[in-house]
Amino acid sequence: MEGEFHVDIGPQYEGEVIRKENLFMEFGGPKAAHKFELATVKNADEIENEKVEIIGPDIGDLQPYDPEKGGGSYPIAVLVDVAGGELDKDAEAIIERRLHMFTNMIEGWYHMNQRQDVWMRISKECYDKGFTSLRELGEIYILLYTSEMPIIESIQVTIITDPEKVKELLPHALEVYNARDERARTLNDEDVDTFYGCVLCQSFAPTHISIITPNRIANCGAINWFDGRAAAKIDPEGPIFAISKGDVIDAVKGEYSGANAIEAEKSLGNYDRVYLYSAFEHPHTSCGCFEAIVYYIPEVDAFGVVHREYKGETVVGETFSHMAGETSGGKQIEGRLGTGLEQLRSPKFIQADGGLARIVWLPKELKERFKDVLEAKGLYDKVATEEDAKNVDELLEFLEKCGHPWLQGEVELPA
Amino acid sequence: MSAVLPRHRVNVLTGIKSARLVEDAAECANYIQKAKRPLLVIGPLLLQSQADGKLLLEYALDLAKAGGIPICATAQTRGKMVELGVQPDCVYDAVEIVNALKDPDWKGVRKEGNHDLVMFFGIRSDLGSQGLSTLKHFAPHLKTMTLCKHYFPHASYSLTNFKKDAKWQEFLESLIAELQKGG
Amino acid sequence: MAVAETKKLSKKLEELSKLIRAEIPWEPVGPTPMPDIPDIRSWDMRLLKTYQPFYAPFCDLCCLCTYGKCDLTAGKRGACGIDIATQQARVVLLACLMGCSAHAAHGAHILEHLIEKHGRDKKIDLGESITIEAPHIRTVLGLKPETLGDLQIALEYVFKEVGHLLDSCHTGQEGSALDYESKALHAGMLDHVGMEAGDIAQIVGFNYPTSVADTPLVDMGWGAIDKSKPTILVSGHNPATSTEVIDYLREHSLEDQVEIAGVCCTALETTRYSDRAKIVGPLSRQLFFLRAGIADVIMTDEQCIRTDTPQEASKVGAAVVACLDKAMYGLEDATDMEADEIVRRMVGNGEHFAILDSAKAAEVAVKVAMEIAPKRRKEWLAEEEAIELAKKCNDCAMCEQVCPNLCSIGAGITQLAKGEFEPLRVLFNECIGCGKCEEECPRHVPIFRLMQVAAGNETWKARAGRGPIMDTEIRTVGAPITLGTIPGVIAIVGCSNFPDVDDVADMVEEFAKRKYIVVLSGCSAMVAGMKKDADGKTVYEKYPPDFEGGGVVNVGSCVANSHITGAAIKIANIFAALPLRGNYEVMADYVLNRVGAVGVAWGAYSQKAASIATGCNRLGIPVVLGPHSAKYRRLYLSRKEEDDWQVMDARKKELVETGEPSPEHLAYVCETKEKAMPMIAKLCIRKNDTPQGRAIKLNHYISLYKKYMGGGLPEDLHLFVRRDADIPLVYKKEVRAHLQEIGWQPREPVGLPTYIGTYPSKVSIDAVIH
Repeated sequence: MEGEFHVDIGPQYEGEVIRKENLFMEFGGPKAAHKFELATVKNADEIENEKVEIIGPDIGDLQPYDPEKGGGSYPIAVLVDVAGGELDKDAEAIIERRLHMFTNMIEGWYHMNQRQDVWMRISKECYDKGFTSLRELGEIYILLYTSEMPIIESIQVTIITDPEKVKELLPHALEVYNARDERARTLNDEDVDTFYGCVLCQSFAPTHISIITPNRIANCGAINWFDGRAAAKIDPEGPIFAISKGDVIDAVKGEYSGANAIEAEKSLGNYDRVYLYSAFEHPHTSCGCFEAIVYYIPEVDAFGVVHREYKGETVVGETFSHMAGETSGGKQIEGRLGTGLEQLRSPKFIQADGGLARIVWLPKELKERFKDVLEAKGLYDKVATEEDAKNVDELLEFLEKCGHPWLQGEVELPA
Repeated sequence: MSAVLPRHRVNVLTGIKSARLVEDAAECANYIQKAKRPLLVIGPLLLQSQADGKLLLEYALDLAKAGGIPICATAQTRGKMVELGVQPDCVYDAVEIVNALKDPDWKGVRKEGNHDLVMFFGIRSDLGSQGLSTLKHFAPHLKTMTLCKHYFPHASYSLTNFKKDAKWQEFLESLIAELQKGG
Repeated sequence: MAVAETKKLSKKLEELSKLIRAEIPWEPVGPTPMPDIPDIRSWDMRLLKTYQPFYAPFCDLCCLCTYGKCDLTAGKRGACGIDIATQQARVVLLACLMGCSAHAAHGAHILEHLIEKHGRDKKIDLGESITIEAPHIRTVLGLKPETLGDLQIALEYVFKEVGHLLDSCHTGQEGSALDYESKALHAGMLDHVGMEAGDIAQIVGFNYPTSVADTPLVDMGWGAIDKSKPTILVSGHNPATSTEVIDYLREHSLEDQVEIAGVCCTALETTRYSDRAKIVGPLSRQLFFLRAGIADVIMTDEQCIRTDTPQEASKVGAAVVACLDKAMYGLEDATDMEADEIVRRMVGNGEHFAILDSAKAAEVAVKVAMEIAPKRRKEWLAEEEAIELAKKCNDCAMCEQVCPNLCSIGAGITQLAKGEFEPLRVLFNECIGCGKCEEECPRHVPIFRLMQVAAGNETWKARAGRGPIMDTEIRTVGAPITLGTIPGVIAIVGCSNFPDVDDVADMVEEFAKRKYIVVLSGCSAMVAGMKKDADGKTVYEKYPPDFEGGGVVNVGSCVANSHITGAAIKIANIFAALPLRGNYEVMADYVLNRVGAVGVAWGAYSQKAASIATGCNRLGIPVVLGPHSAKYRRLYLSRKEEDDWQVMDARKKELVETGEPSPEHLAYVCETKEKAMPMIAKLCIRKNDTPQGRAIKLNHYISLYKKYMGGGLPEDLHLFVRRDADIPLVYKKEVRAHLQEIGWQPREPVGLPTYIGTYPSKVSIDAVIH
């Protein structure tokens, strides 16, 4: 790979930001009317392997950004077409997301956002070093995709800068994105036979294994069921692997024979049962990476949630740090459940215990972040933050005043 | 035993065994040719040019070629060497090559057996002196030689303190010529 | 007999349990609370089996007793029977003991001073983000220190052990180099305890910043000092002196009128107390600054100070107050004299004094400075004058012969005589400040004054030391380290005996850019900030001060090094939930096998640096040293593929042949920064790396290798690739091709690697998992 490209490539360039002083040219972004990136799984015969096609003007044909006159922003569509025996439509999102990382890894390139908001910049130094064509970008993508994912058996990259063509293809891309979101929203545990297990953190927490399902994201927040699936395909002997779901022992609490079996196998014999959707009896273990803690407040028989970034004391007096010590280490601890933040949006979030309706305290930051799901359940005004209650007495007062459904006994636990 | 002081005072000998002073290029070549498995260890000072624009490294490579001597490239010397078309036999760093050499059972850089004459060229003098001390005390199975322009008391054989670089270059050129003859 | 012996053991344990308050169950007490010399010896021997001592004798002789001098060349034994290897190991132990005592005694002095001020019961509180206030004291002693008085328990233990260790240096004691090494490792471990006690005392007693990352940026460089004001220079390590001066200035509203600057660690202490104090620079600039005559009064305390400070001061008409009994220079002890009488004699007669009362010393120093400053000329040498003076040089090169850094001084001076300033600037960067050149020069060329034109009046920024790493920070970096976005922790620390002073800033930049966590302390923390980029920014201004990927942290002075090693212990305790109380061996085993951290002491020169590095080694942290450190006489090196890289898999309870030298060496000397950087990246690799973690580490190893070693792939790369998933993405094709060519075979990674189980130890393998 040495000497093959005009600039260096590596994760060390991922943090590189290109400001106006260094900007040569920009594709996508707020100043471009139409832009998108799209990965599509096709049949092998629909793809010309390792072909890079540029439709429209190339970097060398366009006016660069001028500090006085501005300009230098152009529409773009990046199409990555792949084929392979192990690939299916679900892999498209994973493949498409890689464009962000791959582009940022190129010295002198910067990539932000995704899908129809994509924004890319190339720096002056990069252009001066000889990176004068989008073709090179395509070739780098192909190198990195084929290096990382042997399940991609053939690949073709098309980069379109012709404004009319981009505009023409955008509606189709939007349809694809919507279909994906719909699928992610509606895919449940019931629809699949395979869950994924992750043991990345076992050298810190030897008894911890993470069970990842369509309704349960990993505690670290970094791996969802689709990610798990892709990772297991790419590296089947690695730390993320497929688990057979097995039989449903308790759908509400989220107990599955397959998950129990893997617990028994991987937790050094410590556990052989796990409830995926409850903080009681057999709660899911955590290592140390969880994004937030769901903690039990005995005085109100309900839960609070606190996230890592929240520095102060929670309503029970302990900070995140204090509680983290109790929550971590690969142990099943009733009333101290480590969780990924997006899990709060899962329809099965602690459903056996009452779900979101049993949350009575959130840091303000989290309450705003999850305003949509709270409002959908009519809970937004009923949850206290650090501004409403600093201790359990104030909390009780607040919850009574606003008539929180859990305290009113209005919440029905699922059968 | 010699009364020659090393160029840099920090390397002064406190002991009774010191290097044999070698001032004659033919004598020097003789020691090298008598060795069964010589080794040349080069250091980053060789990446500096001489007045005529020739890199010191080029002298080292010429010498190695003339004597058929394998090379261990310490520090970052490998880069320039490869650029000049020569692959090092070993890229151990200074302390690593000394550490290996002092083990009589080590198989050497070419796995043909440990070396019996090790030449050091281009390592900064204080580090070089310490490395030579290790070999003096712990490697009775081999002899060492230095080709830098200073005298190193801990070596088995060492050149004099050259006052003029030109004289030193002359010596190196004669040495290379002698080796080319004897080859 | 047996009954009596059991009784004796119980008494000792009883005493110990009382001291460490064993009955308070914050954690169960492990197997080695307050260990003595033999207690962790089996761990040492295991370490030394893989990381064998490599000796480079600095002197062929032993001159310790009256049977000598004994020549120990090539296997000969001395009159007492000692051989050269054992003699080198003995000297290493002596150095470590001096270093350990320096820190412990400094700590003890500070503690005494602070207990006078605040009382024994002053509580230790390091802020809301630090619950594990003393990882070393907790681990080594088994004590959770709650007050200043408790810190004294730690120091008393250290002093006791030091006494025993020093005993073993007497003639006719240890006959095994390995056992001297074990004792040196013990001294190193004790050093970190002593440093921790000292720095906690300072933070608590002087109200230093703690539990905060964003400490102030302070001014650094001789150019930062307002020469029109009276200037006091504090030189050394002990802030009992400088804090008193600052208090005095504050009380008398003189802070605007008097400059206070520091050289060496006390500069870092002083700027933690007042962000208006200035850092002159590291040890290597001490003599330069003295001879420049800018300081009116020099207050010395202890360690690393020019032993001819009074003589040098007299040359430039400055006054010296020696504030500590460690260095009194034969001066009159004026501790009980009237302050104004002392002032009168210092101002009138140019006398110097020792004043061991820090409050009095402060008052005298300020008064003297204010009186003599208006009478002194403080001018930087002008360029024309410099050129003239430089013409005295006839390039005899005597200076070059005596220079410890092997600099071509004569060449620089003769170029200056021709009006060329650049060679002199290069020289100034290489100058370590010993003054031997000027002493040797037959023409009496004032080399240090000439350096002034090269030094310029540059000022830089450094961040004030922030003390321990916060528990919250430790918790936050756990996930990125596991998931492979932070490739490692690199601590660039220690003295300023560099081959080139710019090397440090270059290394900080290289690794911070690559998202390593970079931690600094001591003289290295200063020089890291002494280089500006094209935008005029130092690394402290470019990178955030947080303990996170791409962060650049200054923990403070050299005693703050204990917080860096303490952070490694905290990772084991907080992140892996392993108990640390009296549990040193398990902590060290964890750090060695599972924490990707490397120390870099690029310019180490002192005995303190030796003991700090050796203490890091016992805890399982490898250290990369600059070329001068070959003169420490001893390294800990492995023989790579030839060595035993077997570990126990604590999960499967099986021995595994990993064949992976990670880390490859424990104490290693490197000639140039170009070689050092790929080596540092390689030394961050640990056997428990997840595939993502391994891939990011190999990415940087390969990338740095290509950048500095001329392209291609590292020759030993195959030893670090366990499975295809370990290969970094951008090099996948190249590395796969290479591995196939050499017939590489994949192997299974070890999830829970440990040395426990590979050697006889009191620790059971279950203790490693808890």
